[in-house]
Order: sequence, then structure tokens, then C-alpha cells
Amino acid sequence: MAVQVEVRFVTKRRQFAVPDTPFTVPSNVGSRELNSLINELLKGRDPDKHCREVDFDFLVCGEVLRVPLSDHLEEHSISSEVTVDVEYFERVPAPEPRDCLLHDDWVSAVQVKNGWILSGCYDNTLHLWTTKGKHQLTIPGHTGPIKAVTWVTHNDTLVTFVSASHDQTAMLWEWNVSTNAVECIHVCRGHERALECVGVSSCQSRMATGGWDTHLKIWSAGKSYFAQTPLMTLKGHKEAISAVQWTDSSEICTASWDHTLRLWDAEIGGIKTEIVGNKSFFDASWSPLNGLLITASADKHIRLYDPRSTEGSLVKSTFTSHTQWVQSVRWSTTEDHQFVSGSYDQQVKLWDSRSPKAPLFDLKGHDGKVLCCDWSEPELIVSGGSDNTLRIFQSKQHK
Amino acid sequence: MTQNKIFGAGSVSYEKQGRAGKKSKIKRFWEEEKTVLEEEKGGKKDVGGRGGGGGFHEVDVGSGSLFHLVTDEDLLTSITNDGDSSDGDDDESELDESGEDDDEVVFESEDGFESGTEDSGASSLGVENTKDEDGDSSSDYSEYGSEEIEHEGEEGNNDESSEGSMVSHEHEEESSQSKPFCKVKQTSSSNVSNSSTFSNKTLSRDCEKNINNKVAQVEENRTLQQADEYKSDTSDEEDIRNTVGNIPMNWYNDYAHLGYEWDGKKVMKPLKEDELDNFLRRMEDPNFWRTVRDRQTGQDVVLSDVDVDIIQRLQAQKIPDANFDDVAPWVEWFTSEVMQTPIVRVPDHKRSFLPSRIEARQVAKMVHAIKMGWMKPREQKKQSQEPTFYMLWQTDEGVEHMRRVQNHIPAPKRHLPGHAESYNPPPEYLFDKRELKVWNKQKTTPWKRKLHFIPQKYSSLRAVPAYDRFINERFQRCLDLYLCPRARKMRLTIQPEDLLPQLPNPKDLQPFPTVMSMVYEGHTDMVRSISVEPKGQYMVSGSDDLTIKVWEIATGRCLRTVPVGGVVRSVSWCPNQALSLIAVAADRKVLLVNPGVGDHLICSKTDTLLDEPPEHDVIVPERVKTAVQWEQAPEDIWKNGIRVIINHFKEVRQVTWHARGDYFATVMPDGQNRSVVIHQLSKRRSQVPFSKSKGLVQCVLFHPIRPFFFVATQKVVRVYDLAKQELVKKLYSNSKWISSIAIHPGGDNLLVGTYDRKMLWFDLDLSTKPYQTLRLHGTAVRGVAYHRQYPLFASGSDDRSLIVCHGMVYKLVIYCPFIDEMFVPPVLQGNI
Repeated sequence: MAVQVEVRFVTKRRQFAVPDTPFTVPSNVGSRELNSLINELLKGRDPDKHCREVDFDFLVCGEVLRVPLSDHLEEHSISSEVTVDVEYFERVPAPEPRDCLLHDDWVSAVQVKNGWILSGCYDNTLHLWTTKGKHQLTIPGHTGPIKAVTWVTHNDTLVTFVSASHDQTAMLWEWNVSTNAVECIHVCRGHERALECVGVSSCQSRMATGGWDTHLKIWSAGKSYFAQTPLMTLKGHKEAISAVQWTDSSEICTASWDHTLRLWDAEIGGIKTEIVGNKSFFDASWSPLNGLLITASADKHIRLYDPRSTEGSLVKSTFTSHTQWVQSVRWSTTEDHQFVSGSYDQQVKLWDSRSPKAPLFDLKGHDGKVLCCDWSEPELIVSGGSDNTLRIFQSKQHK
Repeated sequence: MTQNKIFGAGSVSYEKQGRAGKKSKIKRFWEEEKTVLEEEKGGKKDVGGRGGGGGFHEVDVGSGSLFHLVTDEDLLTSITNDGDSSDGDDDESELDESGEDDDEVVFESEDGFESGTEDSGASSLGVENTKDEDGDSSSDYSEYGSEEIEHEGEEGNNDESSEGSMVSHEHEEESSQSKPFCKVKQTSSSNVSNSSTFSNKTLSRDCEKNINNKVAQVEENRTLQQADEYKSDTSDEEDIRNTVGNIPMNWYNDYAHLGYEWDGKKVMKPLKEDELDNFLRRMEDPNFWRTVRDRQTGQDVVLSDVDVDIIQRLQAQKIPDANFDDVAPWVEWFTSEVMQTPIVRVPDHKRSFLPSRIEARQVAKMVHAIKMGWMKPREQKKQSQEPTFYMLWQTDEGVEHMRRVQNHIPAPKRHLPGHAESYNPPPEYLFDKRELKVWNKQKTTPWKRKLHFIPQKYSSLRAVPAYDRFINERFQRCLDLYLCPRARKMRLTIQPEDLLPQLPNPKDLQPFPTVMSMVYEGHTDMVRSISVEPKGQYMVSGSDDLTIKVWEIATGRCLRTVPVGGVVRSVSWCPNQALSLIAVAADRKVLLVNPGVGDHLICSKTDTLLDEPPEHDVIVPERVKTAVQWEQAPEDIWKNGIRVIINHFKEVRQVTWHARGDYFATVMPDGQNRSVVIHQLSKRRSQVPFSKSKGLVQCVLFHPIRPFFFVATQKVVRVYDLAKQELVKKLYSNSKWISSIAIHPGGDNLLVGTYDRKMLWFDLDLSTKPYQTLRLHGTAVRGVAYHRQYPLFASGSDDRSLIVCHGMVYKLVIYCPFIDEMFVPPVLQGNI
């Protein structure tokens, strides 16, 4: 006779609401049993209406239920005698591999926007693809491997994007979609070593670059003459800056090899906050939806930081599933709790931030190290790797 | 008579003993003894039958002797009784007395019985009954007994026989004491309870025994009696008719007498009768057939009818007591059956305890009440509210007072006096003249004296005068106690564990590498050496596949491959960040390679710097010239990045840069005294610093800050000052073969790896011996390295493991030596 646990089901989705009465379930149930239970309840609510089966994930104590309920409760040291609130939400459907774009060399940078895929390669070229997988353009220009690319503005016909490279420059490009002509607006020279990252502000007027010279430089993203020189140089990091992202129009978040995450004020030019970890950060991503930072490190772990909190442990949770060096992480732009990570163990993983033990999905396909990944477009998870491919996964989010 | 009395009493006690067990035991014993004793003499069997007590045989034998005595005495009475049965008046006159006697007898016997019951442990009830019976039945015999006695007395008087005279005389004198005598007789008679024959029976039986003895002519019985003579309680009671005691009478065969009377007169043997007299007597005397001779007294005794009857019964092998019921119902006092519940007095075991049901019910009630909360366990009494007193008149200043009370330090003990203090010391303690002189001389400095007094000799303790310095010394002692501060000696107890350094938790020592992060794939043969760019973005590796490769560390991307045309034994990235240069030791060449990564500006600057060889205005010595030649790289390999070629005369094993990046040193282990060459990049010049070979040079190292140069030979690391051109220090590794050395960025700590599995840590400021020796590896240590920033150092070994140690180097104060702290070794296990 198994131990019984009293659970109350709650949900934030109105169409899946079930009665608020507690249910008694055996403590060894997993999410599958709960799932069938919820589906039965939904079916019983309005039997005349034909409901399709929905897969749910269950959130107990702020963590996704992956093990039997009793183990989960034990792990969180919750008595099985109290009524447990179980929140359920639709399970993220598995992303489907959609395309594989072949490059000539390692794909080290990628970003998707408005149906266009921009990728940077170790053969010093940029590539433009449609999301359908049609190669649009190859843009030579850099003299070193391209480490980062970002879209800046999008008009119907005129698109600008920026690329950062090991040749110590960032290039701002303008692409006329209709004529399929690319023009380098200007080259940002100023860094003394290779560039690693580039970020564009939310107002799309400025961009920031960081690299191995440990400096963070802010440039104008406009077409002005002054764009040739950096607007501001922020010194403070002791090692290479590996990731830069604008959190709002005047705040920049950077991650560095010197084990620190910093928030810079782009107006004043000073450090706002510094978070010291104990591993080098190879990538960081900040989500405007929840204001949290995830970072990638060499010791296989993905760490979640809250830059707003000042007390308690800095690391909110640690996501461990990769078996090697994690090179890149990206938040979802639409989902609060989801992000992807690319690692040198040839895998891209889709995570729920509430499930630190196991990722939601492993996206396999790469034959080499995954050097970059992107989830800017909610439907597309793209990743590039050292197998010279860019792989596209279709993510079907329920709307 | 007193003797008689005592004697009688003795018999009484015996009889009692015999009787006590008689009823209970006699049957069984009899049955047993019948078979056992039948072979033995009738007399003995007889006595045994009567006296069947607990100790059957003992009593038997003892009683044998006793009876013998009794026999002799009582035979007289019985005989006289038989002889004179006519004194009826006397009998009657004495009847009252005897009645009284009877009472007394009863009383006495009661006592006797009580004691008897106590002795035998048999049921007293039966004995009581028998006693009563005795009381009744004995009334008949009492007459008889008293008669006897009177008779005896009379007889004694009348007969004036030699043996009787004394007795009778006494009797007359103590006529008033006839009562006790009577009593005695009575007792004996009453004790012979059931026997209807009164004491006569006993007597006659004993008589008969004697007769038996005589008739059978068996000496054995007698010897037996003799042997056990002293076992009897009544052995001191003598036969007063003949005081020789119980001896073989044949000892007197040669004498005219048989023994001695009580008063010492000889008991003369009766006249020896010849055959004729004997025949005449047989013819004349009708009692001749029942006449026997008492061997003790030598007198003829005529046996009574009762005696004769007993003798006949014995000869017929019947029970001598005719009245004895040998088929009486058997009373089983102790059952022969094994009982189911044996009667034992072992106290009950605890587990056999059955609690009272009522109590159990009460306890259950209480437990229930406690469970339900109706009853509560008694609360502990609150500590009695004693009034609190406050120190009103005293302050807390009395610390010293309290210390004296609570933390008392006893005064030091004085020495016990020795021989010198004695009033009569041995002569060697007495001062001779010289000592006395010295003593007197130290008058002003008395504390220097060996003794504070002069030992003196006195003839006796009495002669010792009062001690004249008593008051003085007391005073001094008081001063000592008062003025000398006493301190408690605190002993410091340090546990060995406390001396060990607190090792930190490895988690707190992060960061250090924990997992293998990257594999740089591309080389096709063994990689002998790697070197990391000062910025940490790139890395160069030299391999046996005759190439060097430049890697991007973060991605593992090989950015450049430079073929160098020789086995690369050592690569070293120039520490000068203004230069983009790698020194490569390939076979006999040292190549300076510009990898072309990193800052373009620096790369181009380096190229321009190395483009034109500077003008030589210094004449290179021949010794150096033959060893090393500089050469500009030709065009075809210039494009590969190789800028300068330095040709050596031997195979170059190691190349290492000075921290500022201008000088670099190369090692040629086979180069004898020119095995170490120091090159200067800016002037393209080489020097051979050592003129003498100090051994097989393994590796060399520049000090990061000071102009020191470390040269590791097989066993010793020598530290040279390049500025002063002298040997500063020799570090003894205490091992057989040094493989590699590394220096801490601070410059004061040196790490030495050896082929004999050790890793040595030298603190240059401390000693020339290793500060610490780490034997962490199972096989030879190939390489050691310090981390540039973190307190980590690592060692790589042939056992395919890499051990990263945590070794903190603290710098507390300037000019103060480093204090080093060791280590938590995370082991990185690689696989080949």
C-alpha cells in the first residue's frame, strides 16, 4: 500500500483549469500519471466537447517534476502529509530538426531575425540565409574568424547588422534586401586584440563590443561619421570579455574570463554591479522577461544568476547535464523559463529554468563542438558548430 | 557409687541414642545387618541390632566396650538379684522412693529424649509416645530396679566380697544418694522401653555376649574392642573391681593376681581348681552348667534364666529380644519414590513471579490516565526560592582574597634535615679546620655557605642545647613566604592535532581545474612541449611530427601549423607582450617564430624588428662562435613565420625566456661546458656563461624579477647571479635526477620535479634543503608548473596523472620570509 499524498492542481492557463478540490494520489506517481489524471479531469469537465490530449508538465515546489512525487518531496524535504500544490502547464513540445546549412568552416556566430539567418564563419566570411535554408549571400570582408554577429535594424528593404571578428574589428553592414547588395557602412577599429562579442542596444543606436584586450567599447550604430571611433571605452575586466548584452538602453551586461559578470552604465561609463563567480564565463544571456542571467562555463555547468539580488548565494541554481565545456547559452525571447545551451559535447539542450537536474530536450545532430546557438526567433533554435554546419530546430510553442 | 552413677548416665545416653532411631530404623537395619553381620560374631550382631542408630557400626563397637563394662557391674546385681529374691519388705519399703524415682526418671528421660530427638532428627512424636509408654511400663519395673539396688547394697554388705565391699560401703554412706542411683538404674531400665525383661535383659545379654566370647574362644572381637576402646565416650570409666582396664588378661598369666583393686590391693587369682574339684563341682553344683568365669575378676558367675534364654536365642540365630516385632508395619519416613515436585527450599526465581492482578489493573489505569492526559506526572519542585544576598558592604575588589581561598598555592616545602643536622653526625659531616675557615670567611655573604650552620657533635641528645638561631630562622622563613611571590606553574598541553595546519576544504579553494575541458587535436605524433601566450588566448605546441601548432585555447581551433624541420623538444612563447614571438627548439636549431596571431600591430612590429639583423660590432669569441650561429630565416620559410634561426652545435633540449623577453637560454645537455647558452634577442648575441661543466645540465630557468639564473644538474640546482657573475646558492634536491624546475611568479619559491617520483618545494629564502617534499606520484615526475595568479601548482607524471596542488604563498611583511601552506591535491587523470 503506497503512501497517499494530497495534491491540489493549479494552473495559469484558464482553458485547462480543473476544480480546486484536493486529490489524493499515491506518492509514487510520476508526471505521466498526473498527466492522465488531469486529462481525465478535463474530459470530465465538459464531456460533450471533444478535447484533444494535452501533455502537461508539473511544477512542485518551484521545480519541474521529473522523478516520482515522493522522491521529489523528499528532496525538497516536504512532508507528504500536507496538501501539495501542483502547478501544471503545457509541456513544451519537442523541437524538430528542420534544416542543416553547410558552411565551409566552423560556424562560430549566428543570429536569426525576421526570417533571415546571419552566420559567421571561421573562414572570415558572413553568410545570410533564409529560414527556409536558402543561402542568400556570402559576405567576405573580415580578415579573421568571425566570433559574433548581431542584427541591428530591420526595415522592409534595408537591414543592418554587425559582426565582430578576431581581426580586432567590428563591421557594420547594410544589406539591401531587394537588391541583395551588402555594403560595409563602417569598420570599428580600436580594439587591441581579437573581438569576442558584440551587443546592440535596445534602441538600436549603439552597440558594444568586447574582446581579448579586456576593454568594452561602445560604438554608435548609426551611419554617422563618428561611428569610426568608439564612443566610450570601459576598462575594468582583467581578462577577455566573452559576452556582452544590453539590458536596456543604458545598461550593459558583460561576462568575462576573469570570473566576473558586470553591469555597466553606458551613460556614465562605470560599473554598476559586479558578480564574482569562481569559473570563467564563456557566455552569458540576460532575459528581459525575468531579469535573470545564465552563464556558461568550462566545468560543464550552466549557472543562473540574479543580478538584482544582493543577498543569499549568488548562484540561484546550477544546471548540470552537459558533459563538456559549455560555450553558449541563450534565453528564449518569449518563454519565461526556457533557454538553450550549446556545448562542446556536440549537443544543444533546451532547458527549463525550473528543472535544474535535467534539460527538457537534448537537441542532437552536431558532429563537433557547438560553438554558438541562438533562439532570437521563437520558432527557431539554431546552432553552429565545428562540424561546419548550422542546424535549425523548429520549436513549436503553444500560443 | 558416683562412678556408677556417671557410668549409668553414660549408658543412658547411649541407650537413648540407640532408642531414638530404633523404631524408625531398626527394621531396615536389622534386615540389612542380618545378611551382613551373620558371618560376624553373634554378640556383635546383637548389639548392632539393638543400637541401630545413624552411625550403626561406630555405636556398635563403642557400645561393645560399654556393654562390657556394664555387664561386669550389672551382672553382679542380676546375680545377686537372682540369688536373693526374698527381701520383699525391703522392696516395698523402697517402693515409694522408687515411685519418686520414677517421676524423676520420666523427667530425666524427657530431657534425654529431647536431646535424643535433637540428635537423631527423627520425628519427636513417636518418641514422645514411646516415652509415655515407658513411663507406664516402667512403673512395673521400677520396683524391680529399686529392689535390685537395695539388694545390691545389702548384698554388698552381707557378702563382704572383695569387689562388693567397697561399693556397698559407699552405698551405705550415701544412702541418701540411693535416689540418684536408683534414678540411674531406672533410666536405663526405662530406656529399654519395650523390652519386658528390664535391665536384666540388657545385662544378661551382655553377659551372654561375654560368654559367647568365651565359648567361641575368638579373640578377634576383643581386639576389635580394644582397637576401638577410646572411641567410646565412657572410656574413662573404669571397672573399679579391677583397675587394670581392658587388657588381655593373659598378660597376668604368670602372676598370682589378676590386677588391682581401686585402692591398690591386688586382685588375687582364684585358687586353681584341679580336675577333681572341677568334676566334683560339676557333679554337685546344679548351676554348674550356667556358671561362667569372669575373666576380669576371676570369679565364677552363675547366669540367670534370662541370660540363658538370650544365649539360646542367639545360638538359634534368632533376635535376642523375644518381644521384638520384626514384622511390624513399615513406616516410610523418607519415601523411596522420586517425587514429581521435589521438596526443595531453593527460593523462587524472579520469572516465576506472578504480579498481582489487582495491582496490574491499577497500573494500567494509571497508564491510561497518563495517556489521556488526565493525570500528569508530578512536576519537579522548583528550586527553593532562597533569598538572594547582595554584597552591600564588600566590593568586588577582594580578588586576591578570593584567589587565596579558591586558588590556594601551598607554600614550598622545606627540605628534610640530613645527617649534618644530626646532634651526633658522622665525622665526615663535621667541619675540619679548613671548612670552618671558609665558613667563617663567608660571614658577610651567608647565602654562599654550603650549610647555614656548623654541624656539631654532642654526646647525647640530652646534651643538645637550645637552638640559638631558632627565632632568626623562623623570621627568615616568614620573610621567604611573605616576600617571595608564588606563582602557579601552568603547563601547556598541546595536542599533536593542533600543530597540524588547518587544511581548507577543497571547495573553498576554487577555482582549480576539475575536468578535462578540451582536447586539441591535430598533431600526429608525440607532443613534447607546450607554451601559452601571455594573454592566454593562444597556445603553441611542439611535437615530434616536426611541426609546431598554434591553437586558439577557447575553441581548440588550430590557427597555424609551422613545419620546423626537426623534432621539437621545447617551445616557449616570448613573455614580452610587445613581441609576438615563439622560441622553438628543434633538433640543433632554435627558431624564433612569429605566429601572426593576436594584435596585428605587434605582429608587424615584431616582423620589422626581426627583419634587419643589427650590426655586429663585437667580436664573438671562438668558443661561442663554434657553439652558436645566428642566421636570418630565408625567404621560403619566412612566410611560415620563422624569422630567425640559431644553429647550435648540439641538440637543444630546452629553450626558456627571461621574463622581460629579451634574453633566452638554451640547454644542450651534451654540450659539456658549453651546454648552457644565453642569447640576447635585441643584439642577436650569444654567451656561454659557464666555463666549466658542473654536470649534466637538465634545465635552466630565469628568475622572474632578479637577475638570477637557475641551472639544474642531475642532483643540484645552482643559482647564479648574472649581474655579479657568481654562484649565489646551491639547492640540494636530495634526489637522483631532476627532471624539471619551475619558479613561482613571486620569485622566491622553486618547484623541482624529479624522476624519482618526488616533487620538491624550495623556499629560496629559507634553506638550501627542500621546504617540502611531495611524493604524490607513483612514477617519475616529468614536469612541474606554477599558476600565474592562483595559489596552484601542478605536476605531470609518467603515471598519466596530473596533480594540481593548492599551495598558498603568503607575503606577510616585507623582509619576512614567505609562509607557505599546502595543499589539496585534486588529481586529474588523463588517458593516452
